[in-house]
Amino acid sequence: MAEGTEGPGDALWEALMALLPSTKEDLMLDLGEKVDRGTALLLQQAVELFHGGRWADCLQASEAVLDYAWEKLNTGPWQDVNKAWRQVYAFGCLLKALCLCQPPREVTAVAAALRVCDMGLLMGAAILGDILIRVVAVLQAHLVSRKRPDCSPSQELPSLKKAKRDHVPAPDVRLERAVPRLHRPSLQHFRKHFLLPGRPVILAGVADHWPCMKKWSLDYIREVAGCRTVPVEVGSRYTDEDWSQTLMTVEEFVSKYITNEIPELKRDISIPDYCCLGSGEEEEITINAWFGPPGTVSPLHQDPQQNFLAQVIGRKYIRLYSPQDSEALYPHETHLLHNTSQVDVENPDLEKFPKFAEAPFLSCTLAPGEILFIPVKYWHYVRALDLSFSVSFWWS
Amino acid sequence: MLSPTFADPAAATMANLQESPRVEPMAEERSGSWFGFGFCGFGQEPGSGCRCQVLSPEPLQAVRDICRVSASWSYTALVTRGGRVELSGSASGAAGGCRDAWASEEILVLLRDGPGSQAELQAWAPGSALRGEPLWAQEPEAERAEPDAEARAEALPLLPGARAYVSPRPPFRRGLAPELRARRLELGAEHALLLDAAGQVFSWGGGRHGQLGHGTLEAELEPRLLEALQGLPMAQVAAGGWHSVCVSETGDLYIWGWNESGQLALPTRSLAEDKRTVTGEGLNQDGSQVERAAGTEDGAPAPFIAVQPFPALLDLPLSSDAVLASCGSRHTAVVTRTGELYTWGWGKYGQLGHGDSASLDRPCRVEYFVDKQLQVKTVTCGPWNTYVYAVNGNS
Repeated sequence: MAEGTEGPGDALWEALMALLPSTKEDLMLDLGEKVDRGTALLLQQAVELFHGGRWADCLQASEAVLDYAWEKLNTGPWQDVNKAWRQVYAFGCLLKALCLCQPPREVTAVAAALRVCDMGLLMGAAILGDILIRVVAVLQAHLVSRKRPDCSPSQELPSLKKAKRDHVPAPDVRLERAVPRLHRPSLQHFRKHFLLPGRPVILAGVADHWPCMKKWSLDYIREVAGCRTVPVEVGSRYTDEDWSQTLMTVEEFVSKYITNEIPELKRDISIPDYCCLGSGEEEEITINAWFGPPGTVSPLHQDPQQNFLAQVIGRKYIRLYSPQDSEALYPHETHLLHNTSQVDVENPDLEKFPKFAEAPFLSCTLAPGEILFIPVKYWHYVRALDLSFSVSFWWS
Repeated sequence: MLSPTFADPAAATMANLQESPRVEPMAEERSGSWFGFGFCGFGQEPGSGCRCQVLSPEPLQAVRDICRVSASWSYTALVTRGGRVELSGSASGAAGGCRDAWASEEILVLLRDGPGSQAELQAWAPGSALRGEPLWAQEPEAERAEPDAEARAEALPLLPGARAYVSPRPPFRRGLAPELRARRLELGAEHALLLDAAGQVFSWGGGRHGQLGHGTLEAELEPRLLEALQGLPMAQVAAGGWHSVCVSETGDLYIWGWNESGQLALPTRSLAEDKRTVTGEGLNQDGSQVERAAGTEDGAPAPFIAVQPFPALLDLPLSSDAVLASCGSRHTAVVTRTGELYTWGWGKYGQLGHGDSASLDRPCRVEYFVDKQLQVKTVTCGPWNTYVYAVNGNS
């Protein structure tokens, strides 16, 4: 079944075309010598086909661009992948998404185009002034506007009930050494006592007024982000043999894994002011959202950047070990997992890992509205006590 | 994937592959031709400009008397018996006096006739159309330290003398320890496979997809012996993008590395989700292939394999013996002793030759050659396509 009318008059197509650069020549990437000649030729050909209105041929050429760039993205460690290949990939996604939306189009075309754009955002790099983000906004708006107002979600919502708070036993953190809690310390105080010496601290009163802490419904998440594709980790912890990573839409994730009702909240977040104490640019701060059911565990591991972990929904039990005590944490010896401990923190095998028993640590139960500062390379273990939504800010 | 093979019927048996001298024009016992299928989005053979992919084998038309093929992603190099190399696809041009060619996106390497019986190694930019000067040239014979060096002239990317090999990325020339006694060398996207005079296999490079075969995901900086294959002399090795294949002297097939598109002929999650796993068990009454999700004999679902970090023995249907293997980026092709061709893995561009774009995680015979009573002698895979040499099978 097709939708949309050919030629002028299709609102979606016009909105998409309005996002493109004003001159045809500007719809191109400046890659220089960084990609091989064949790729440059194919990109050129794809763009020419696009301008020539040869949508089916352009789609085919874009697919080849995507498949080739995908192979480059999978060659060598991710951090060594030349940014140019990620830009090529994003560009292929852009062309493919546009070709899919060309009227007359299938009913499923816009959702498919959205998935393609999400792949471009996940795996690609920014192109043409972050055009993919603007394309996504147009596609999402189109999908939302086409939904009937009384349309009910595909899955029946669980009946309204309080989030089960005693689902997983919460450790009694009073028996353990606590991460200090400070109410809105000054930048200088934070820098002198925590950032420079690399000491963890909970910042209270900083995030509790963020708009996202207000009421937010499961309906709203599904409505606003349900069609978006996100990476999902499946399995209780990533060191398990049956752990895997996959991609699915937020809608698919919610219907499959989220059974509790969650409190409502709005979606705005802000970058903590404290990040300005770092040497990196604001654009280089990596913001990730972590959404999962109670019991989700992140095994003890360290990250190469400073981290502000803002808790939005639910509580997390967190243990922190200093990098100075790394030896007692028995990191894996392989390169792939050398930043991950072999020890199961809440159920350690002390015969195999004897030094772990004596390793000093700090712990806390991080509650909504609080931000935990995890210094760079500080070992951390996390267990969600409730259905949890957190936002992490990685900065340098 | 990036190593050419030559098609001299007299040399197609295992023993001859090890001993044959460099190819010279000679009378054929039976007439043979080259076929191609898969991606031809740059107009390379067998495509003809307007088509992006060929789903079933088609004869190569433009170049006659091909004796070896080396295919890169966007172009193919075809070497004729008369010593002429012709380029098809994003790169064009031709040159004479050519014994061997090795095509990659970055460089085209040619082994040209030099003065006397010497040979000269040349690296050309693919966009040069073989006009002007090569990027670099040298006499490989000068490297040869021993007169009985194992490598033959037709062993690119292994250089004659077996003391070095050519790489598409700098450094373009890389040394090999003489004690390795390299006979054949194949390059994947981030790894290398080496076959030595005794039939042992070495691997090195990136290993994050298990393509090195040592049982880990760790990289190896230096050639490391595949201990799992010790005691099993290998006759041939082939490297795909992230997977590896070798054929033993007795016709067994071993395969390891990444299985994301079923290129290891093991059940893969991506195909099961697409419901494209074909058991190869046979045909239904109406001729359609029997289809079910991958499973074990007792009906339990088989585990999906994403990565196989150790060599695994792969049985071909009908207990056929393998004689030759070649790999594309994400697909595998094998020629059997009885002249059949099996392919599996990524099939989106028709590179499996079964007439469609399906990917497969089981070896399937390319029926085209059976239907036309052709005996397959040689296969060479480009990253996304496949070239086959076959002769008339009536004997």
